[in-house]
Amino acid sequence: MLRAELIGLVTTTATKVTAAVAVAGLIVTQLAFVTLLPALARGDIGPGLDALGGDFPVLDLASRAAQLDAINPLGASMGSGSVGVTLLAITLLGVLAGTSDDRYGGIVGAVLASPKRFRIVAAKAGAVALLGVALGIVLAVVSLVTLVITLAVTGTPFVLDLSDLAARFGLGVLAVTALSVIGLAIGLLVRTQLAGVLTTIAILVLEPIVVSSIQLVTGGAVPTWTQFLPVALAQGVIHGGTDGLGPSVVIIALVALTVALTAAASAALARRDI
Amino acid sequence: MDTPTPIPTHAPPPIEARGLRKSFRGRPRVDDVSFTAEPGRVVGLLGPNGAGKTTTIRLLLGLARADAGEGFILGHPYRELQHPGRSVGAVLDAGGLHPARSGRQHLRIAAARIGVDASRIDPVLAEVGMARDADRPAGGYSLGMRQRIAIAAALLGEPTVLILDEPSNGLDPAGMQWLRLRLRAFADAGGTVLLSSHLLSDVQDIADDVVVITDGRVIARSSMGEVLTASSGDLEAYYLQVTGTREVR
Repeated sequence: MLRAELIGLVTTTATKVTAAVAVAGLIVTQLAFVTLLPALARGDIGPGLDALGGDFPVLDLASRAAQLDAINPLGASMGSGSVGVTLLAITLLGVLAGTSDDRYGGIVGAVLASPKRFRIVAAKAGAVALLGVALGIVLAVVSLVTLVITLAVTGTPFVLDLSDLAARFGLGVLAVTALSVIGLAIGLLVRTQLAGVLTTIAILVLEPIVVSSIQLVTGGAVPTWTQFLPVALAQGVIHGGTDGLGPSVVIIALVALTVALTAAASAALARRDI
Repeated sequence: MDTPTPIPTHAPPPIEARGLRKSFRGRPRVDDVSFTAEPGRVVGLLGPNGAGKTTTIRLLLGLARADAGEGFILGHPYRELQHPGRSVGAVLDAGGLHPARSGRQHLRIAAARIGVDASRIDPVLAEVGMARDADRPAGGYSLGMRQRIAIAAALLGEPTVLILDEPSNGLDPAGMQWLRLRLRAFADAGGTVLLSSHLLSDVQDIADDVVVITDGRVIARSSMGEVLTASSGDLEAYYLQVTGTREVR
């Protein structure tokens, strides 16, 4: 079943397009945050920092923290919690994988081949996870290459060691994989492509809006539960934890969320008539 | 383990519907449907549109859950078959084809799902007459070509039971003739076929037994020989009579 689902994934245009959009989105994001913003801050291009204003974000790429932040398969940002094209594309890759069979009738063949339907969901989750791992590696490499080129052009030393890189790559790949499987679960639960895409966009886009609104109302403090939302968890995993949660907690929480949604999708598929 | 599903010692019929009932939103669509299909026989499942033929097939194949009763394939509920794709071939409609995938890619997926070697793909493509168009995207296929790929997928696992819902939809005359001969040869070799069709001439040519369903209920169940004897050799007349009066057994 896993092999069948993998063949199914790599033979659809939706997979190729969403993966390409994720990579293209990451390249643009990295160029903006890692290359363009520091160059503007330094005055290499543009009117210079004085003209840009005192609140213009200054990213010191010579620092270890800034270089770590720049190696992000979801795209570097000035703070965690933002939703970029890459994050959206990764999740939609899963959504489209989850809705494709229902849209084109392939679910009938899958259920005929595997009447124990949880196996179908397990195979789909496995296939999407493998694709997520591959895509996560590509995205991590793209973010690293963008950083290295920027550092080379500006003559800034690369200060990260191999363990930094390995940890960043591993956590980044985990986040990408989890997001793609979460997308799959949403797709299997919602079943129709348009509804799946809209639901996903709503969930991902609304999360930072809700968190920001709460911050405004409370004067900066946010409830702990907001750190267990998907975007916060994914960014928290990559950044080695959030303000209130340690790295192991966010990793466990993201994996638990992924497993719970996949189990819900499996239960829904098992119950319904095809 | 590739252990085939054990066949119970009392050798039950390869296909058996036993008191199947299914309602949608309170309206019965299949109501106490029972029949069997024996080895070496083609059973024609007939009935007007909306009679419950497709729902009956979906219940037999475990795609829908019966409110009461049970369907059995090779003596087991379909969901309990260990390698259903290698025991049962099914064609439910010409759907299930992603427009961006080629016919060959669909069969690769189907083969991987049921654990059949990909070397089976070329022979079944040749058998259904799709070898030349196998690498074209299915989005450009005619209904008949899609149906041929669906039939090829059903044959991939070299099953002993075929359950086909309107398999000749969209097929050209040559394709329909091929299908008739193929199904007859399949049954003559000991296989069991359940064939739902609107084309009475097709059913008359190849079916050994007939089950007629109207409004979700079996209103007639007989051998083709008895049907033709009772109707002076005219299946259509028999069909119109039983579906019109609902009194002939």
